Amino acid sequence: MEFMIDPEWAWAEFHPDSDTPWNFRTAAHLFRRAGFGATQSELSAAVSKSPSAVVDELLTGSEPDSFRAEMKSLSNAAIATGNVQQLSAWWAYRMLSTPMQLLEKTTLFWHGHFATSAEKVTDGHLMLTQNELLRSFAFGDFSKLLLEISRDPAMLVYLDSATNRKSHPNENYAREIMELFCLGEGNYTETDIRELARCFTGWEIRREEFRFNRYQHDSGTKTIFNKTGDFGGEEGVQIVIEQQSAPEFIASKLVRFFVMDEPQPTAELIAPLVKQLRESGMMIQPVLRRILTSNLFYSPFSAGRKVRSPVELAIGLLRCLEGTTNTFDLAAAMLTLGQGLLYPPSVKGWDGGRTWINSSTLLGRSNLVRTLITNDKTRFGKTTLQKYLATQKATNPRAIIDYFEMVLFAVPIPDAAKERVEALMKTHGDNGLTEGLHALCTIPEFQLG
Amino acid sequence: MSHYSSRRNFLRVSAAGSAVVTFGGLAPSALQAAAEQSKSDRILIVIELQGGNDGLNTVIPVGDEIYRRLRPKLAIARNATLEIADGLAFHSSLRGFADLLEAGRLAIIQGVGYPDPNRSHFESMDIWHTCQRSTENRTDGWLGRMLEQTANGNGGDPTALHLGHDKQPFALMSRDVRVPSIRSLEQFRLQGTDDSQFRQAVEELTAARRGNGNDLLNFVQSSTSSAIAASERLSSSVKSYASSVTYPKNGLGEQLQTVAKLISSGLSTSVYYVTLNGFDTHSQQPDAHAGLLRQLGDSVKALLDDMDHLKHSDRVAVMCFSEFGRRVEENASEGTDHGTAGPMFIAGPAVKPGLIGKLPSLNNLQDGDLRHHTDFRQVYATVIEDWFKCEAEPILLGKYNPVDVFRV
Repeated sequence: MEFMIDPEWAWAEFHPDSDTPWNFRTAAHLFRRAGFGATQSELSAAVSKSPSAVVDELLTGSEPDSFRAEMKSLSNAAIATGNVQQLSAWWAYRMLSTPMQLLEKTTLFWHGHFATSAEKVTDGHLMLTQNELLRSFAFGDFSKLLLEISRDPAMLVYLDSATNRKSHPNENYAREIMELFCLGEGNYTETDIRELARCFTGWEIRREEFRFNRYQHDSGTKTIFNKTGDFGGEEGVQIVIEQQSAPEFIASKLVRFFVMDEPQPTAELIAPLVKQLRESGMMIQPVLRRILTSNLFYSPFSAGRKVRSPVELAIGLLRCLEGTTNTFDLAAAMLTLGQGLLYPPSVKGWDGGRTWINSSTLLGRSNLVRTLITNDKTRFGKTTLQKYLATQKATNPRAIIDYFEMVLFAVPIPDAAKERVEALMKTHGDNGLTEGLHALCTIPEFQLG
Repeated sequence: MSHYSSRRNFLRVSAAGSAVVTFGGLAPSALQAAAEQSKSDRILIVIELQGGNDGLNTVIPVGDEIYRRLRPKLAIARNATLEIADGLAFHSSLRGFADLLEAGRLAIIQGVGYPDPNRSHFESMDIWHTCQRSTENRTDGWLGRMLEQTANGNGGDPTALHLGHDKQPFALMSRDVRVPSIRSLEQFRLQGTDDSQFRQAVEELTAARRGNGNDLLNFVQSSTSSAIAASERLSSSVKSYASSVTYPKNGLGEQLQTVAKLISSGLSTSVYYVTLNGFDTHSQQPDAHAGLLRQLGDSVKALLDDMDHLKHSDRVAVMCFSEFGRRVEENASEGTDHGTAGPMFIAGPAVKPGLIGKLPSLNNLQDGDLRHHTDFRQVYATVIEDWFKCEAEPILLGKYNPVDVFRV
């Protein structure tokens, strides 16, 4: 289904008007996409500023040193257990507590892009090193990130490239850098892959560190994308990133992650972003700012046009209600729903969109909501959910439903559904809150982000 | 019109094996109803071997010198194989398949692939799932297109089920039919539904039509309704299963046992889809590959034995495929890179057992890879036409001569 959107209009800066005002609903949309969600007081603070001012804070703020120090020590403790699932729990905790939501969300984007699974890597230290690399380059120069990830021990272990001998080069990394990390399928030939694989010979991992072994490097002449020379791995990566399709591939993926699941953005639509990426030398921050302050982002083409990922659903539910919980159990639940942090299903990462949804995941999502709101390890604003909602002035069934709609729903809840949930709450006495909110978070509208 | 009605009815196979299919009109309603109630409705179980199975170390040309020369480390010694015929032998871990072959229950279709092979896992898998290339507008899969025609009149049971924790296979996608995915039967239940008021509220809340222009919301709505319906159907049906067969204690074994439970519970589901991952053996191939083949052979053998005990085996055909085979020449990491053609397997009492087609010549490689001689859609065609008695062309989006696999 093709539709025509004027690219000029799409990426021009959004100025609120009577059709699309800057209010709690549009601010909540921004926080859901540029993070995991916002509380009532965060939304209230946001609407007193302009959308672009809020986006700038999201993009340029920094984590306090004390927060970083706490995260560092917690991650080291997680690694020390020898169980990488503890590191997955650590990341969930970081997502719940970071003051820099967009940095964390973009790190998650890169994790899905440069997907590497602890299932195979098994070494928590290597997984953390990669996670920190992704975070430090999240808003930065994509070309540099691509080179760094090509020498990242966890990645090379994951793609069987910890050894690369010149006699029989292993094609795995050469293929994935073109297909999945930089250009997209169809934008290279099998010969390009075989030649690039020769450039990477001699790249290896020794004692958890990248090392160049010149005795195993094929120093002969290679031809990749019509360029010929005795290229090494660095030059190989450089030739790949210079391809026309590189900024197209990245821009398209950013739009699908931050703006809309479908339809697939057309080349015409993303052309202005492609141009900006190319001219800025593949810098991510400016293009991200443009996306998040654009007309398209605040339009009906974007609002409610994404399926919540399991992480968005679970972390979002908690963040919007100032929730804390046992993040080890939470990380395990997200894995069950198809999005294990540090456990992507394949090197292609998560396809997202409709693929998050099937019978098992829908039942599982619904069950997770019930678990979170009834579990005695979950606290909301350091108290029970009922008391927390009272502090937010949501004290009767209808007010609670409206409160959930404001902080958590990307599309309006139909009136008939509100009435049905309200009736369910009223007939269940002390359990009314649980039964009602569980039913409310099982309706199809809740699955959209 | 004839296409329409034959496709609508393609899964209605009577006990005698003849299709209740009419051309130019609907089948007589009594016959159709009888066919719908019949326990003999045919079942296909698809096993996807994910990652690219090394066909040459699965069905092994033990006497081939080129094979031994190009695989100095990975070639399997003749005395570690199980003989098939024609200089070919199974990897010794495929004892399950060797037993099935001896019992006349396994067909091995060699040299299967497609023109202009793509060596990307994801693109090649999508080609196998959709029968289309990436340049085409792919919205549904071959099994999904089959299921579209059978969505009605099956008593509310899912027409197909996907077992596993992966995302749903593209092959099962279709515009209107939502195929449930089940990780495990224990988890496939909505909490709180012991309370009938809660259950009723959730059913009503999800069933209410949404009159809006958001396709995504409509998709989630129909998926939620079908999830709740399927969970209730399954939780009430899977109670009486008992088996004397021991399944291997691994992922595939457990999934196939779940399939057996569902079949024996009387579900009218006609397609089950499971996945075995790990075949992308770029390095340290020998042990990993041997383990996967053992898991495959033993699990399929256990399933068919169980079906015998439960008196359902005549209904069942198991089809195994992988997105591609692997490069003939080994790499330096004791592994193999992505290749092209490979063998497919169809198991069950209904097959003509043995080798079908020849191993592509190792003397005539293309870019170091095997040349396919049988298109995978020819194998799908036999499943659609000879097993399910339906017209393959609209499902495969082209005309493909069926490979001769089934006896009945």
